[in-house]
Amino acid sequence: MATDTATEHPEETIGAQTGTPVKIETSSTHRSLIGWFGMPVFLILILGATYIWIQGRELDSIEQRVLNQRVLTEKLVEHLQLVAVSTAIVIAIAIPLGVILTRPFARRAVPITLAIANGGQAIPSLGLITIVVIWMGIGFTPVIIGLVAYSALPILRNTMVGLQQVDHSFIKASRGMGLSPMQVLMQVELPLAIPVMIAGIRTALVINVGTATLATFFGAGGLGFVIFQGIGLNRDPVLITGVVMASGLALLVDYLAGVAGHFLSPRGL
Amino acid sequence: MTFSEYLSNSYENLIELSLEHLQLVAITMLIATAVGVPLGILAHRSSVLRPPIMSTTSFFLTIPSLALFAIFIPVFGLGSPPAIVALTLYALLPIVGNTVAGLSSVSPAIVKASRGMGMGSWRRLGLVELPLAWPVIVTGLRVSTQVTIGIAAIAVFVGGPGLGNEIFRGIRSLGNPGAENLVYGGTLAIVVIALAFDGAFVLVRRFTTPRGIR
Repeated sequence: MATDTATEHPEETIGAQTGTPVKIETSSTHRSLIGWFGMPVFLILILGATYIWIQGRELDSIEQRVLNQRVLTEKLVEHLQLVAVSTAIVIAIAIPLGVILTRPFARRAVPITLAIANGGQAIPSLGLITIVVIWMGIGFTPVIIGLVAYSALPILRNTMVGLQQVDHSFIKASRGMGLSPMQVLMQVELPLAIPVMIAGIRTALVINVGTATLATFFGAGGLGFVIFQGIGLNRDPVLITGVVMASGLALLVDYLAGVAGHFLSPRGL
Repeated sequence: MTFSEYLSNSYENLIELSLEHLQLVAITMLIATAVGVPLGILAHRSSVLRPPIMSTTSFFLTIPSLALFAIFIPVFGLGSPPAIVALTLYALLPIVGNTVAGLSSVSPAIVKASRGMGMGSWRRLGLVELPLAWPVIVTGLRVSTQVTIGIAAIAVFVGGPGLGNEIFRGIRSLGNPGAENLVYGGTLAIVVIALAFDGAFVLVRRFTTPRGIR
């Protein structure tokens, strides 16, 4: 199972109608040494090389204003807060919604919900956040709302795909064993859907790390500040530091979510 | 100023920016297809090359779009070149992934039968495997185009062309009267382009899919 379900049969799954890139799991249960340690080693090398390069340079006063421990720590913390809060909210909304929409009584609402969600994907992230800011003013909260709206679809879609792919005979067997529909959901369907659901959360996390780089325009800080300072002041060391920090964070979050997915999946799968 | 007044005043500007946006997306997709489909074929045929190809293309999609745009400024300077390079790298994964998925979905029996008929590896690819995988590949191109249309708005931050300029003009004058119209106008035009492309891809897929598997 190297690829996500959505890529294997694109025209048959819900995933096919979306504008969201489908994440490919590059390794499965039999991870090689490179699979487990490749990314951490790569990240340490890149971050270390950037650190040594910046340390070895004579920074002018403009560069020093951004490239100091206080500013960089502050921007990193702001970025982490944006990602953590937005992802927590989007999980709390999209997973229950996905569960409800896969229950038999809600079947009719599925095409409409997916059409709205997929149509919404056509709105560019930059425009979406700016529109929320126009309505609510600048700051942390409107940016969070923009991030939540933009990253909801992967989790919603994967929750639904994950639950729908559960073999029907399992559900029937559990019902026959005397489990209530709620017990079937909690003890059979959700555990079997977890790998696909976590892949959705992983995609949402990566989207949030990326989109949060735009937060600096709307008074919510984050690592985008460092990148934009680098572009605006025409200082490559500042720009590269911002790029390395933001990319490093995205790759780290993606890696950790991949590891979490591996360990949270039920043993039998 | 109401939104309709804004539209009647600056529709020429919006159309011009839309054409720039389209051009950026078209160039990106041409390069990404020319690179991505052969990479996908390579990844399908060689189990040694598949892991590095797949992990490299998914690596690019993991990098924040702003960072991927910005990193090419020291190399190419501001303007279209860093935007095109970054967008192309972004567009690769759905194309490569779906090319591999499409080729893998071709039934082994059909592949064996064509080999039995005396077809060589390349003829089999061109006459049997690619036509059968085509609907899946087109879906990859469609997803990739949608991603590119949205992310191309970010190109404005590296001095790139397109509708991001209209949105950014609105962001810079936020709080002033009429600023919201610029943001709505730019965003709406991008949504229209995205939906138009989506419709076009449905038609392309319908009419380029071999009769037998329609």
